[in-house]
Amino acid sequence: MFKFLKVLVKNILQGPATEAFPLQPAKTPDRFRGRVTLNPDLCVGCGICSHVCSGDAIRIIPNEEKTGYHYTVWYNSCCLCGSCTYYCPTKAITMTNNWHNSHKQDDKFKMAEHHFIPYLKCDGCGAPIRLLPPHLATRIYAHSPVDIEKIIRLCPSCRQIATAERQGELNESNPE
Amino acid sequence: METKQHETKSFSLPLGPIHVALEEPMYFKLELEGERVKHVDITSGHVHRGMELLATKRNFFQNVVLTERVCSLCSNSHPLTYCLAVENLAGIQVSPKAQALRVLAEEIKRTASHLFNVAILAHIIGYKSLFMHVMEVREIMQDVKETVYGNRMDLAANCIGGVKYSVNLELIEFIEKSLVRTEKHIKEIIDIYATDKMILRRTTNVGRISAEDVIKYGLVGPVARGSNVRIDTRKTAPYLIYDQLDFDMITETGCDVHSRAMVRLRETLESIKIIKQIIRNIPEGELNTLLPHIPAGEAMARSEAPRGELFYYVRTDGTDMPLRLKWRVPSYMNWDALEVMMKDCEVADVSLIVNSIDPCVSCTER
Repeated sequence: MFKFLKVLVKNILQGPATEAFPLQPAKTPDRFRGRVTLNPDLCVGCGICSHVCSGDAIRIIPNEEKTGYHYTVWYNSCCLCGSCTYYCPTKAITMTNNWHNSHKQDDKFKMAEHHFIPYLKCDGCGAPIRLLPPHLATRIYAHSPVDIEKIIRLCPSCRQIATAERQGELNESNPE
Repeated sequence: METKQHETKSFSLPLGPIHVALEEPMYFKLELEGERVKHVDITSGHVHRGMELLATKRNFFQNVVLTERVCSLCSNSHPLTYCLAVENLAGIQVSPKAQALRVLAEEIKRTASHLFNVAILAHIIGYKSLFMHVMEVREIMQDVKETVYGNRMDLAANCIGGVKYSVNLELIEFIEKSLVRTEKHIKEIIDIYATDKMILRRTTNVGRISAEDVIKYGLVGPVARGSNVRIDTRKTAPYLIYDQLDFDMITETGCDVHSRAMVRLRETLESIKIIKQIIRNIPEGELNTLLPHIPAGEAMARSEAPRGELFYYVRTDGTDMPLRLKWRVPSYMNWDALEVMMKDCEVADVSLIVNSIDPCVSCTER
């Protein structure tokens, strides 16, 4: 008993162990997995996020005119596992350390992030494509002499043709 | 006033499924003779969620998250063992760095889990201030989890083929600092639990189970080690990098509630020893294999969860969903032995004995 009394006295001298939230801000670590957010500029619509999402919180649906797609993340279905962030190839979807998710019952259908992400028309054939984020393109074509600005605005088949043409020109100028 | 003559009556007493001293729903029908328990009937199934069926409706990546939510206290052991089973099936080699980080997550969780159980012991015997103190010490580990992994319970550390996180120098320093604090407190707590008269009086010679019965009932984890049976998957069938680490298997000879609590407390120190070895020497390498293909076949894996040996079985047909995912949790064997531990015990000790096996009802009933 005496041993514990010593601990008790120490704890009393130490003061409260709890944080005074909401009177004071609560300490939140940088890595805290809070509300999900999407950067629409980086999203290429590959769908890996909704494939790995275990809460079924992510919806990617093309619009009727096929000019783009609707991207929706439902905060209340999200279980904050961070799989989408982890598997996202362009790191378009990330987790903030915002844990303030409480809301009124009436607002439950507003607890979502929605983006309409338009398709781009391929410069070659006009097919709807998503622009490859330039920062990824510079990594992919780092050792290739292509015009990145041009090639990222082409669909995969037009890109193949462009590559073949370029290769052909190279072969002609360099017969050996 | 006429004093009633005391007579020993036989009657049955329902305990649970909702009870102040039980963290999770479990129903006991106790046959009593006066204050003594003569027979105990356990009814379970109150938190059955059909998770094994759910697992067959989800792909391999979603199941990592699903298994993490089987139970909160062993929420790292489940996805880890599931990943180990799937990796065994697909023949994926996990890099030494990922293995070390997996062990790190396991041991941080083990420390917090053991401290939680020992705190609840103090709570049940009415030693509230000690309960609060142990929970506050556990809070240091909770802060480590929140800072390193981003959540207090669900670490999301594992993925098929490796781990999702890495630690930088700043975090290693933070972990180290927290460990020093926890270790100091735990040594103090061990001393209190080993010598405090109030604790000793309530816990020694209560809920006894002999080593023979431990083997007969197939008990695992701290319950078996509290009866001096040397079973620890980390030692008997080493997985990850446990065979390269220096730690001891803790056993006690008391066979009662007190020795099981002491095993847990002393094991936290061993876990801290393991964490220290890991953070000082994290190997270089890849963190994981991204999106591997899982072929058809079947495989199993086992690991030492805080409560004992955890076993996973997986069968696949080459698609991205498992045909069957089955897990056997340590509490499944351990709670069967409650009838031995509770034989002839006082009715007031029932919840104490239940807590001593550290039952994880949501794991067992999934």
